[in-house]
Amino acid sequence: MSRVPLRLKVNGEELELLVEPHWTLLEVLREELDLTGTKEGCGEGVCGACTVLLDGEPVRACLTLALEARGASVITVEGLAGEKGLDPLQESFIRYGAVQCGFCTPGMIMAAKGLLLRNPSPNEEEIRKAISGNICRCTGYAKIVEAIAAAASQCNPCEKASFEKKSEEPA
Amino acid sequence: MRLPRFQYLEPRELQEALEMRALYGAQSALLAGGTDLLVRMKQRLKKPSFLISLRNLRELSGIRIQGKELVIGAGTPLKAVGGSALVKGHFPALAEAVQAVGAYTIQHVRGTIGGNLCQDTRCLFYNQSSFWRSGRQACHKAGGNICYAREGSDRCRSTNQSDGATALMALQARVTLRNSRGLRDLSLEEFFTMKGETPIDLAHDEILTEIRLPLGPPGTASAYERISYRSAIDFPVASAGVWLQSQGGIIKKARIAVGSMGNAPLLVVQAGESLEGRPLQDTQALAKAARVAMDQASAFAVDNVGATVEYRVEMVSVLVQRALGRALARAAEDQGKEGS
Repeated sequence: MSRVPLRLKVNGEELELLVEPHWTLLEVLREELDLTGTKEGCGEGVCGACTVLLDGEPVRACLTLALEARGASVITVEGLAGEKGLDPLQESFIRYGAVQCGFCTPGMIMAAKGLLLRNPSPNEEEIRKAISGNICRCTGYAKIVEAIAAAASQCNPCEKASFEKKSEEPA
Repeated sequence: MRLPRFQYLEPRELQEALEMRALYGAQSALLAGGTDLLVRMKQRLKKPSFLISLRNLRELSGIRIQGKELVIGAGTPLKAVGGSALVKGHFPALAEAVQAVGAYTIQHVRGTIGGNLCQDTRCLFYNQSSFWRSGRQACHKAGGNICYAREGSDRCRSTNQSDGATALMALQARVTLRNSRGLRDLSLEEFFTMKGETPIDLAHDEILTEIRLPLGPPGTASAYERISYRSAIDFPVASAGVWLQSQGGIIKKARIAVGSMGNAPLLVVQAGESLEGRPLQDTQALAKAARVAMDQASAFAVDNVGATVEYRVEMVSVLVQRALGRALARAAEDQGKEGS
């Protein structure tokens, strides 16, 4: 099988890669780009540890073919911190003790980031619903929900500038 | 878990995709959101040599009213279907079903309504990795001739757990299936084969392009209920979609579909018919319809999705009652607004 060219943007950087058709976005991020922040927890889409933003919306990198991300903008947890320091979500997770083993954390933060981009002032129910696809075995979720609520109240409106959101709304 | 190798095809528009389907047929699979297909490929349940990506086919996405029907493109993402004012207004059962699918971050952005409708059937003994299944011989659905869900069964007893399919069955949906030479138009009753091995009548050279729902007059209402272990991620272990048409406070027609029992959404015709001519407030008729639905469902339920069969069957009655209650309230509210 020969490799196929793939052009996509990862964390703001335009890339041209050569990938096998059967590679998932998760494999490309971790193994080709050394962006190991995104984790594989289950490989079948039920744990959320592989959550990344694809054109501003949260998706499962383990169930997205790399080639399906052609021309898209991918943001991983490594892409959140900038010159101004950590993202408010990252700061909040640290301050509220929302990280124990840390394995679910990148996925949680990306799911939360996706939420705040589409709903900058979520209530508790909306936060819980937004992270309902992310499993945490350590924290019992309480601190995670608090951290997201605190980050939301801090960054309002949330920065959209660095994320290209392709509109998927039908006519 | 790694995917098996395949060739990735990226048609730019529908006709090109249909020609690829005609060419590769049974060796091909359609890739929409991929949240069902790719998992099955990782488990080596499916090994298509060619994946035909539908990502560029914008013509498959969209929700519009066309004559007396609401037409939903099969490639419309679940979040668009669940958030559509047209769907929420005319077919709330579908909006509710779609919002209940999995979790936002799994299926709602990339998953499509067509993919959810065509979701393959499931069984705890089938939907496992190839390593897990290597411990024993293949079941009916995997190409063998044994069933682990119901001992001695000579056919596949896998379960349809699609929320969208159950709601659409209650809502009298029709599907348009296209191949490179023309199209077929089927009701959902015709679309489901009642065979666990090949649950839907989608030929190897076809693509599902549209789902069409008949619009009803004022007094039409619907609702969807489901029960699952957790509030997200999990498939339902029992579900119910109901649709009814009322006039002057009397139910004219009703349809009740039960999900997660049997290899297709179960349209309980008797239960729906028992409601015809009953007034909207007739709670006894409601309870009776729920019991009829439960009795019918019990013939199909097999212990292959978790929770006991007894509990799931009993929940059918509860879910049908809840869904009917909400649909009847919606119909009454609708009538009140119309002043009829």
